[in-house]
Amino acid sequence: MIRHLNKLRWLVLSIVFAMLIVLPFIHLYQTYIAAHAYDLLAPAEKQIYDVMETLTGPFVSDPETDLDAIKGNTWSGTFFGYRISDPLAVVSQSAAGMSLYWPFILTGLIPLILTMLFGRFYCGWICPATFIYELNTNLAVLLHKLGLHTGNRKLDYRFKYLVLGVGLVLSAVMGAVLTAVVYPPAIIGREIYYGVALSGYSHVVLGGFGAGAVFFISTLLFDLFVSRRGFCRYLCPGGALYSLLGHFRIFRIQRVVENCNDCAKCNAVCEFGLDPLRDGFGQECNNCTACIAICPTDALKFSVTIKDQPFQGVGHLGKAYKRHQGQDESK
Amino acid sequence: MRRRGFLVVAGRSVMAVLAAMLPFGFARLMSPDVSADTRWRLRPPGALKDDDAFISACIGCGLCGEVCPPGCIQFYAHEGGSKVNTPYIDPAQKSCILCDKCMEVCPTESLTVIPRKEIDMGIAQIDQSACYPWVDQGICGACVVVCPLGEHAIGFDFANFYKPLVREGCVGCGQCVEVCPHPSLPIWIVERSGGTVAKHGAGKRHQWIQ
Repeated sequence: MIRHLNKLRWLVLSIVFAMLIVLPFIHLYQTYIAAHAYDLLAPAEKQIYDVMETLTGPFVSDPETDLDAIKGNTWSGTFFGYRISDPLAVVSQSAAGMSLYWPFILTGLIPLILTMLFGRFYCGWICPATFIYELNTNLAVLLHKLGLHTGNRKLDYRFKYLVLGVGLVLSAVMGAVLTAVVYPPAIIGREIYYGVALSGYSHVVLGGFGAGAVFFISTLLFDLFVSRRGFCRYLCPGGALYSLLGHFRIFRIQRVVENCNDCAKCNAVCEFGLDPLRDGFGQECNNCTACIAICPTDALKFSVTIKDQPFQGVGHLGKAYKRHQGQDESK
Repeated sequence: MRRRGFLVVAGRSVMAVLAAMLPFGFARLMSPDVSADTRWRLRPPGALKDDDAFISACIGCGLCGEVCPPGCIQFYAHEGGSKVNTPYIDPAQKSCILCDKCMEVCPTESLTVIPRKEIDMGIAQIDQSACYPWVDQGICGACVVVCPLGEHAIGFDFANFYKPLVREGCVGCGQCVEVCPHPSLPIWIVERSGGTVAKHGAGKRHQWIQ
């Protein structure tokens, strides 16, 4: 059962990403409705209107107000009346404004609590950038099979904490929320919105894409040619914040040494370059369950505990352990 | 030796901090300043008065734009410099209808819900040397007809029925700018301190508010 969590994760990632694309179209649809002028719409706009009407018609009676239930993106949004903001947005804005604005800080409370329970789960389960970054990893694998050189450098994990710290200090000095400029989920959320909903003004297809899209593409190239999933591992300020908050998370993946056969597939599949084979999870683990899904012997499971296990030795189903046992018996 | 070790550690720390600034530098490099006339861009209603405070309060989530029924709220791109990703309204393209949705949805301090009469996006200013009725006694009055605040905000001159005059109640929503048929847009929104208003007609703004 728990093996299928990875599929559920991909479903969640796809839904979040699809919502980020659908929501700007919903906004367009609402503006067309508010204008009360279907006949004056351009043919392309009429198409959008008709499609959105078909899609949303069964669920809402008054699109102008009912479709306001879900708005925004993962950086900050409203979800059936609840306002939810990224904890990084809260921290950065508090740094930039050098003050605490409690109505805004409270919107980051639910993600904060979830992060303290589940660690870096946002990075694995929700982040719209993860959806593209993991596809990018698959592309890297494909290129590797085709014989192209893809980068797999190891850098220092602690570097992203420095990026977070520098970002907060720069935000405070400049008086603007600068972490939003280098934080991929925020970039993706607003660039899709600009690209879909605001391109009408310039009358150019996808004219709304801006500098953030360029930055995001450069991070994709960084992941592809320098370090696999490198931005999330070593640079992302949000990942740094969640890693710190998730240091004492209570839901952890742990290895069952009796079932492990030392095949090391978990290490190969881990996007964050961790070491499940030797019980090396730490605060970087984002509970993405990819290792659980790939384990052939069900040797990885979820546990409720605030500490990782120390290295438990080689897996009991592996050759090394059997050789070791054989030596013991012969003595 | 101890001093040498300290220097090495200090040097490495400085290098690491400089390297950590690189992503922000890249993001800045990719968004160079380009010349664009941003003088006439208004902040959405309910915005903080001080624009520096507005920039530091806004997180750039785009929620205000996403709930805007006329879709008038746009966002500064690279031409905005430090204003990047913060919202603006260009009344010549699309103007605010004072529906209060952006104020209600904004999670931060940057847009807060205030009564409609206390909104201050600016004040309309009429160029009487270009406006049709003022120049050649033509019949227009589009700005007066469209104004959502009625004659507290804009009304006709006492002597001529079609010469518009801005009054103290104007909140600067810009619907008059959007509707103005004159190609050179003789009506525009300026900062409240820079606007001139009719001294007669509806009384002063603060009296009207109370």
